[in-house]
Amino acid sequence: MSAYLTGLIVILCLNIIIAYSVFLPAAAGQLNLGAAGFMIIGAYMDAYLNSADDGLGLPMLLSVPAAALFTALIGFLVSFPILRTRGVYMILATFAFAEIVAGIVLNMEVVGGASGFPVSSHAELEDLLPVTIGVVLFGFYLISTRFGLAMRSIHDDESVAILFGVNARHIQVGAFTIGAFLGGLAGALYGHQFDYIEVQNWGILFSIFVLLYVLIGGTQTPWGPLIGALFFTFVPELLRAVGDATGWELIGELRFAVFGAIIVGMMVLRPEGIMTRTFLELLFRKVPQRSPQNPPNNMEGV
Amino acid sequence: MSAVLTLSSVTKSFGGLAVIDDVSFDIEQGSRSALIGPNGAGKTTIFNLLSGIYEVNGGQMILDGVDITDIPSRDRINFGMSRSFQNIRLMPHLSTVENVMLGQHHLATSFKDIFYPIGFRPKNKWAEQARAALSDAGLDTYSGQVVSELPYGVQKRIEVVRALMSDPKLLLLDEPAAGLNAAETSELQTLLEKVSASGTTLLVVEHDMNFVRNLCQHVVVLNFGRKIFEGTTDEVGKDPQVLEAYLGGDASDVA
Amino acid sequence: MLIAQQIINGLMLGSVYVMVAVAFTLTIGMLNFLNFTIPALFMVAAMITWATTAAGFHWLVGSSLGMAVAIIASLIIERFTYRYMKAKYGDATEHALPLVSSLGFLIIFEHVVIMIWGTDPMSFNSPFAHAQFSIAGLIFGIPQLISLALSVALVFALSLLLKKTRLGRALRSIAEKPDTATLMGVDVGRIVPVVFMMTGFLCALAGILFTINYKNVSPYIGDHVATNAIAGMVIGGLGNIWGAIAGGLIIGMVEVLSIHFWGAEIIKVPVWGLMLLILVFRPTGLFGHTRIGKGKF
Repeated sequence: MSAYLTGLIVILCLNIIIAYSVFLPAAAGQLNLGAAGFMIIGAYMDAYLNSADDGLGLPMLLSVPAAALFTALIGFLVSFPILRTRGVYMILATFAFAEIVAGIVLNMEVVGGASGFPVSSHAELEDLLPVTIGVVLFGFYLISTRFGLAMRSIHDDESVAILFGVNARHIQVGAFTIGAFLGGLAGALYGHQFDYIEVQNWGILFSIFVLLYVLIGGTQTPWGPLIGALFFTFVPELLRAVGDATGWELIGELRFAVFGAIIVGMMVLRPEGIMTRTFLELLFRKVPQRSPQNPPNNMEGV
Repeated sequence: MSAVLTLSSVTKSFGGLAVIDDVSFDIEQGSRSALIGPNGAGKTTIFNLLSGIYEVNGGQMILDGVDITDIPSRDRINFGMSRSFQNIRLMPHLSTVENVMLGQHHLATSFKDIFYPIGFRPKNKWAEQARAALSDAGLDTYSGQVVSELPYGVQKRIEVVRALMSDPKLLLLDEPAAGLNAAETSELQTLLEKVSASGTTLLVVEHDMNFVRNLCQHVVVLNFGRKIFEGTTDEVGKDPQVLEAYLGGDASDVA
Repeated sequence: MLIAQQIINGLMLGSVYVMVAVAFTLTIGMLNFLNFTIPALFMVAAMITWATTAAGFHWLVGSSLGMAVAIIASLIIERFTYRYMKAKYGDATEHALPLVSSLGFLIIFEHVVIMIWGTDPMSFNSPFAHAQFSIAGLIFGIPQLISLALSVALVFALSLLLKKTRLGRALRSIAEKPDTATLMGVDVGRIVPVVFMMTGFLCALAGILFTINYKNVSPYIGDHVATNAIAGMVIGGLGNIWGAIAGGLIIGMVEVLSIHFWGAEIIKVPVWGLMLLILVFRPTGLFGHTRIGKGKF
């Protein structure tokens, strides 16, 4: 595999993990514009635990899960104040959270402050790939449980879900905390891929892009973040390739602008994201079974 | 017979304006009752007080021997009451069977129940119970479909099935027949009669007096937040106060 | 004395934030829409002002061109974010769609500008570089003073417009209840573009004044100014114009004073910490309205 392709797949894997991190609260109706915050906490905690010179020198196998758990703990603690907010306020509150995290880490000399922090151990794509697949499977699993059903019910109609006994607060805190865990995981893995971390990598634009992965992919099904991350990772590269192939350099240079136009167009054509429930049904429905004599144990689309 | 629901002197006001004023009535165990009245009489408000969407300003609500007045709305389903809504409030992005499984939510209490992949493994008791209930209601063909795409009448019946999944002693139905055509109304009535036959008490808010006469024996009439009549379906059309209340609107509704 | 000078500088900087914060607060208050094209409009106006002037034209030509482009761009944005969604999905505020589309536009504008002029910061040759005077040892830059006066006067005019005119009443009725507004004979389709024109105008003016005062432009200036303006808006309370003024000026002063006392790097923590506390415990800010921005996304 060429180095270019390997690099691209590494980025894809990290994008997929962080997309699931934002997807889980979004599937429960909470928009999170603070993906950068979780990413920073996970990356720095892991780098510190892993570093032999400045930190504890733990092996990756311990430092990565520990960093993700630490991020989950922070996520759990901040979820209580943040989930008090709604709508625009929630978007702004999560954004504020990410900025505070960036500001604090920027001033922590123990992890290098503004000049960044080196990561001791290096991991290969072969290590990243199984984790990514695991995260995707976990996303599908979680959505298929009653917990996931409760999340999606809150997304659709919170007050009715509550009347049916759903503890909306617990479910939302749970989704946000698991999302934080995945965000921390993505951050920790990022460090081991690129060997150096800097807070400046994770600004507002990063959080915006991750939220876009999820909203463009669709929040109704666990396919959404996967498709969103694929779309966002490959379409700009594809545009560049098209620019190179046709010799029409403008496409390559303007690929992000074209990409922005695609986003605007997507919202016109598929406002609920690429993958919706009805689209999924269209893709996977067997031969239409309309006769009332159908055995009741038909299992499609459950 | 004992009462499954007792309201005593329930009062609710919004901004100083009393919408429910000292309303008391009993609903007998296993009965089919209707709550009727002109527009703005406070029928849906009573339902919202019962399900805990609003808090009462005074009075008491007793459900099957338990005072639910101060119990938070999320927990009330545990005491044997569930409801449908005036405008369909199904989860539009969930399939029929998933909507119905939401009705079981409060019965799933253990960690294993919450984290069992009910969507992946179709042979589990929750999904099978939900499909059996849909099949009883004649809705099994729709079980895998996303509800937002289904006909209105079907959605109305799915709402009833969802409410039934919690195994309620008292089922509150807010205008179940509104917007249905004649065929759909009779399908709904068949379903409700089946439900009633199994011992569930029905309390219906409804405008369609034919539907009420066919289904219910006991009627409570509200007007401007006060109870003006309580009695059998046959008596209600003869009561002068009820006629008076409806005269402003359409007297033939009740007569 | 140094502190007094810093406070003056903070107010001057804050006056730029005020205009952008008012643009944010208008779209949130009236349309329940967090408009992320605002940083792009600000930046485009600033870049065009710089580029035209650098090409040898009078700065007034450059800034007029920047203003025109920003207003036209804002109207195009209205077409694809708010109006389209409204027509197709009823109350567009029920969806995250306008937000996503506006992020799409933000990406488009930034990258078109980067393609044309690159990412490096450019310096603007201000015609008023030395236009300043001092009173009792305090230095007042004349263009900065003018921009402070202008922003306060503009916002004052805007609030008069909202209170007194027919247009203002129509706008406020949309803010209260879009459906009822339509019933009352307000042509929502014609009024909403006015909000976007105001947004374009305010952002462009802020961008032009920022360019003239701080003599530096880059494709990323919009992000910095807009995030501070958002913080100012939150402090003042979403949907409240006077809140946006107070909040914008407060943020300007906090920024300048924190840099003075603690350096530039720590500033994020107090500003965003304060903002988070306000969002959680007093979401109405100093003057805001409880109802605004709570809608589902």
